[in-house]
Amino acid sequence: MTPEFVPSTTGPTAPDAPTSPAPVPAIELAHAARWYGNVVAVNDVSFSLGAGVTGLLGPNGAGKTTLLHMLAGFLAPSAGDVRILGRSPHRDPSVYRQIGLVPEREAVYPFLTGLDYVKFNARLQGLPDPDRAARAAIAQVGLEDAMDRQIGGYSKGMRQRVKVAGSLVHNPQVLLLDEPFNGMDPRQRIAMMDLLGRLADEGRTILFSSHILEEVERVGTEILVLVAGRLAASGDFRAIRALMTDRPHNITIRSSDDRRLATTLMADQAVFAVELTQSGLCVQTSQLGAFRRLVAGASRAAGVHLLEVVPADESLESVFDYLVRR
Amino acid sequence: MGLFVAFADIARVTLRQLLGRRRTLLLILLSTLPVLLAIAFRIAGVTEVDRFTRRVFDTITMIILLPLVAILFGSGAFGAEIDEGTVVYLLAKPVPRWIVVAAKAFSAVAVAILLTGGSAALAGIIDMFPAGSDGVSATLAQVVAMVVGSACYVSLFLALSLFTRRALVIGIGYMLVWEGALSSLLAGIANLSIRQYALGAATAIYKLPNQESRLSAETSFILAGVLVVVALVVATWKLMRFELPGGGD
Repeated sequence: MTPEFVPSTTGPTAPDAPTSPAPVPAIELAHAARWYGNVVAVNDVSFSLGAGVTGLLGPNGAGKTTLLHMLAGFLAPSAGDVRILGRSPHRDPSVYRQIGLVPEREAVYPFLTGLDYVKFNARLQGLPDPDRAARAAIAQVGLEDAMDRQIGGYSKGMRQRVKVAGSLVHNPQVLLLDEPFNGMDPRQRIAMMDLLGRLADEGRTILFSSHILEEVERVGTEILVLVAGRLAASGDFRAIRALMTDRPHNITIRSSDDRRLATTLMADQAVFAVELTQSGLCVQTSQLGAFRRLVAGASRAAGVHLLEVVPADESLESVFDYLVRR
Repeated sequence: MGLFVAFADIARVTLRQLLGRRRTLLLILLSTLPVLLAIAFRIAGVTEVDRFTRRVFDTITMIILLPLVAILFGSGAFGAEIDEGTVVYLLAKPVPRWIVVAAKAFSAVAVAILLTGGSAALAGIIDMFPAGSDGVSATLAQVVAMVVGSACYVSLFLALSLFTRRALVIGIGYMLVWEGALSSLLAGIANLSIRQYALGAATAIYKLPNQESRLSAETSFILAGVLVVVALVVATWKLMRFELPGGGD
């Protein structure tokens, strides 16, 4: 595995990278690992984050929640070191004055109204004016119209927003969000992404997890890619995205004459492997866009009817697999 | 002031959680049983302390109602939050863990006393008060037993629920096997039986008829106090080390 690493002054940086005498990073992991018996959930992960939004990207089961729980102080690292604003978050409740946490699980006290729930958070944070702080946090997530309704009647997206409001109410320096866009409709998603961007612009450190590439693309320029508990890539999203785009793509084609079509396709530079199989042609190309145009022309030229053109490996897991193998 | 606000808020949310559950309705129904029997006894003209204690307090209130209610509320005070995942909203706060434990225990004990003590008080007023001063004393003694028993069961099973998700099953097992079967066979178990602490504490007010309280009132109060304090300290210790699962991601 060769992790892609693009140094950044505000985004993820490797701990061994040369750094100027800067203030303590908001989030810092040094060779952090967590295992459960023989199962390794997070394996030797190191990075540090300053102000800004960073996406923690990875397929299901990659260890994102375990990593966020370690950062939130709810799991002790089995090895290595985890620090938030220079302090170990484990067994130190006072660190939560500086951390806001949005857990992945949807459950919120269903019998409380949205306003009551956020006020509950504000009071437990010891804020001097919980009502004012709660109303301000609710306004930030755009939930004023529903704040007097019981959370039990909220949609999934509204629950996510009220959870975010509860985590923001004390104006934390570090915000950890586990799959915050789950259950939101596209409009709510965009609003939440914009909110995270604004909060980051105010100097906060925001780390959110997602298994959806496009979510990360819109919010954060910096990403951490976690695969099977390991940090597969970190740095600027565009660079990693380019890696993902340039990777070989496998496409399965069914046509009226697979053999003739294979001969025509092999003549093009964009195609570097063709295999005749029982289920059709398996074509490997590095330029997906060019290939889409090519296949139409090639089939016409060969006098072959296309029956089906299916990308075989477009799942996020395959993208991550490629990054890991690279 | 800050700690008091946190205590009050957590206690209030816990109360609503405990009272809002479907099983609470069943427990409320169960707690009305001694009252209904007291009414039936009263109508039948049986208003003797001895008979009511033997037929209702011994067989229903003490053996079924008290342990069932207190174990359910004790194990549910944290258990429900852990199962549903809402415990994270309490733990991700700069609140000392002993405040969280104390607030949870306070709420669960309060609800348990409301149901068991309320049931014992109402049943006693209906059927034992007409028996005169003995009836009044016996009623008070039974309420004391409910208060002491509720505090002990709740504390013990609240602490246990932080160690295992099977606290309720263990509690029912404790109630049936330890206090039910074994305590009648082995006299030494009295020192480790919440039922005996509750009955012993009741004797400070009145010697309930036919009760085999094997401990003195002083011993009972001391052992009950030690149990509550140790259980809550252990719960705080465990909550400080509480770990959330990593989840599927």
